[in-house]
Amino acid sequence: MKHEPILRTRREFLRSGILGGAMAWTVPSFLAHTFSALHGESSNRAIQTATGVDGTILIVLQMAGGNDGVNTVVPYADDHYHRARPRLALPEKRILKLNDTLGLHPSLEGLKTLHDAGQLAVVQGVGYPNPNRSHFRSTEIWQTASDADRAERHGWLGRYFDNACPGADPTVGVSIGRQMPQAFASRQPLGVSLDNPRNYRFMNDGDSRDGTEDSMEQLFRDFNAPEDVAGGEDAAGGSIDMLAGGTSSELSPLDFLERTALDARVSSDRILEITRKATNQPAYPATRLANSLKLVGQLIGGGLSTRVYYVSQGGYDTHTNQAGAHERLLREMSDAVKAFVADLKAQGNFERVLIMTFSEFGRRVAENANGGTDHGAAAPLFVMGSRIKAGLHGTYPSLNPEELLRGDLKFSVDFRSVYAGVLEHWLKTPSEPVLGRAFAPLGLV
Amino acid sequence: MLRPLPDSKWNFTTAAHLLNRAGFGGPPAAIERLVKLGLDGAVDWLVDYEKVSDPTKPPEWARPDPTRFEMAQANRRIRQEVGKAGGEELEAFERKRRERARMERQEQNRQMIELRGWWLKRMAEGPRPLQEKLTLFWHGHFATSAQKVRDPYYMWLQNETFRSRVSGGWFDLLSAVTRDPAMLLWLDQAQSHRRRPNENYAREVMELFSLGEGNYTEQDVGEVARAFTGLTLDRRNQRFVYRPAMHDPGVKTVLGQTGNLDADAVLERILAHPSAAPFICGRLWRFFASENPPEGVVDALAGVLRKHDLQFKPVLGTLFRSEEFYRDDVMRQQIKSPVQWLVGGVRMLERDLPAAPVAAALLASMGQNLFAPPNVKGWDGGLSWITTNNLLARYNYTAVLVFGDLSVLRAAGGPMMGMRSQGASRRARDAGASVERILNDSDRARVDTLIAALERRLLQSGLKEKQRQSLAGFLESRSGLSDDDLLHAIRLVMSTPEYQLT
Repeated sequence: MKHEPILRTRREFLRSGILGGAMAWTVPSFLAHTFSALHGESSNRAIQTATGVDGTILIVLQMAGGNDGVNTVVPYADDHYHRARPRLALPEKRILKLNDTLGLHPSLEGLKTLHDAGQLAVVQGVGYPNPNRSHFRSTEIWQTASDADRAERHGWLGRYFDNACPGADPTVGVSIGRQMPQAFASRQPLGVSLDNPRNYRFMNDGDSRDGTEDSMEQLFRDFNAPEDVAGGEDAAGGSIDMLAGGTSSELSPLDFLERTALDARVSSDRILEITRKATNQPAYPATRLANSLKLVGQLIGGGLSTRVYYVSQGGYDTHTNQAGAHERLLREMSDAVKAFVADLKAQGNFERVLIMTFSEFGRRVAENANGGTDHGAAAPLFVMGSRIKAGLHGTYPSLNPEELLRGDLKFSVDFRSVYAGVLEHWLKTPSEPVLGRAFAPLGLV
Repeated sequence: MLRPLPDSKWNFTTAAHLLNRAGFGGPPAAIERLVKLGLDGAVDWLVDYEKVSDPTKPPEWARPDPTRFEMAQANRRIRQEVGKAGGEELEAFERKRRERARMERQEQNRQMIELRGWWLKRMAEGPRPLQEKLTLFWHGHFATSAQKVRDPYYMWLQNETFRSRVSGGWFDLLSAVTRDPAMLLWLDQAQSHRRRPNENYAREVMELFSLGEGNYTEQDVGEVARAFTGLTLDRRNQRFVYRPAMHDPGVKTVLGQTGNLDADAVLERILAHPSAAPFICGRLWRFFASENPPEGVVDALAGVLRKHDLQFKPVLGTLFRSEEFYRDDVMRQQIKSPVQWLVGGVRMLERDLPAAPVAAALLASMGQNLFAPPNVKGWDGGLSWITTNNLLARYNYTAVLVFGDLSVLRAAGGPMMGMRSQGASRRARDAGASVERILNDSDRARVDTLIAALERRLLQSGLKEKQRQSLAGFLESRSGLSDDDLLHAIRLVMSTPEYQLT
């Protein structure tokens, strides 16, 4: 049985010649040359600092479908609130109060605990000019940090990878789930998606006889070696630009497949090794989001050199019978975050982690005839961590019908100011090259 | 633009491309059959599918069930009475109600798995490949999920609507979908009332189904929602009903047209919009041909659609005959959807579909859970099928198709989707593929004939030279070449980047 060393990085993979003879034809010599020139020992060390196991980590938690911000951070003392929502307004006695006018939805006990510990920041009235009420377009705007009237191909996190993490391992960004968020789309494709770590490897048929398995593995590797490392260091290629339907990649489908196969191979050994070893995790609730965060907890605990994790919870498109569904969704979110924070604290890693939520839009102030709410605009978002400036940021938009925009809240904080704050103060990178222009960084950290 | 492919270019490769895209591919014999029919004959056979009879019967449970409604009503009455009594009686009632609800969900899950198997069987074995491919297109276009609709009868009914109504043209189909029970529930139209119209369906019918974002205003969304009020569901008989009392009869202005517009007038107005024909033709091109339509192709197809009174068949006939459809940047440049991967794989290997729970679990785990698209926009498709996670899943699941090895699925801990409730034991084994069906004696005569046969069947194009050498090296190293060795070779060719393309 051949014993293959664990490959931790794509460039180690390319340099090591682990494919043996096959390497000679898979990587043209000019590219191999470029690689060794770009990634000598010194640059290796520099990259370790950026993506190393001690750096800060960002968790992006997407609340997909358009979370009802008004019933998440509730202006319970505002008469306009109760008038606009005869059925959906939450009674004052159930509110988890933050101050004399605002409080959290009763499901958000876990977040209230963080608030009381000075570890929760509430950014109020987040949105952007000319709000779009399409789920897909507005998600795209949030994912790419573009203006509402401009289509942007690459994601804001992808541009962060491009700008601040050149030459990083594919695992610099990890998305939990079967989809890759458009936020990760970048010129130099980075980031892996991971649904179930047990499936995250090439499994050979258990029945194979003497030696077949061994040679099969070798053959499999030969077959999946890239002809050319497309998109190498300088070539452009938005190959993870996949959430926007119909958008093209600069890589051909075959190059894209080969690239993905390589990323899968170099990341799978390491991820399996970590998740197999993971023990002693505190209990998590049995929900999909909690499972995702549990996996993130394992990967952080195992020292995967990832800067950004992306998790997602769906179901917030509450057009009908919102009350029960919204209560359940927020409880799931809050309980999952609570368990995750407990896990990180037990590991001693909470200091390194910042959690940021977002949703593509809030919902209309007035409830509809079906006990639900329709697509809206500005909404609050949460930022959580132990080293943040806790409390309220921005101002809560007025619910006065005369000050609404087509029945929706006007934004007071551009979401890109939040991104700028996270980039500058948490990921320690200039935000302007990532966001395309200067946004005043919100002082969150 | 859209000139037919010259006869000189009609061959095994182009015929295989047509069968892959207009259907779900097939073994070499099926492709040879199309070659013999000629381009026109092959396209006619695919497009005029009504001429081929299809004896498929619906699942036995696929009919309205008024008892369900009556049960719910009775329960509500009892609940009110018991509610007054309160205490233990209420608790006992609630316990029983929850138990009944749990059993009903279980039965619905079982039926949904059966429904997935029923449809996949039509794709894999049915006599009308294009009709099923189109049904899959419409399922992705009008993406509706059982996770909200729940009742498998409604999901089946919608599937049948896609299958049968497409022959009637775009207006007929859109009008039917607007009244389709699953859609009425999925986008909340069933509950929309003139007092406060629900905008969900009104928005998506323009944004996702017919015009595309930017071709209507927020004002239009509100007006269309008003016009659609009254379209709702008769829950007892489980069918569409129009309730005038819920309808807003006032004057509306939609896309610049003002009048006392009802639902069909609105749909007519929408489909008369200059963006409507290019929008749907662009979708068709992207689904059947390529992500990036060549300049002018979509407008040309839109012209065909308009000229034929919004009928789709002439558009499809033109598309499948066109030179553009057979360009090098179209053929073998599409990433297989998980459904294409599964159904196409089964057809290439000339094996049976895996059992419905296995097939459903494979698809869900590769990112295309039929009847449960991720959102109303459907599956993004193209490159988005491929992530590190999903590519590894595909490689692993080739072992299911080739060896019948279900352990990979079990090891993945993926959703086994009722395998146990279907009585499948943990040791259950799928039959896998059979070498005799795939390779004959002359194929097996030499290593080079063997490789040529595998290329022709599995890729319909050549391996890269280095891959061919590796494979030859492997095959030569095996003394005697057992069936097992050959299955390994087949699995290997299917676990490549190249195999993910069609």
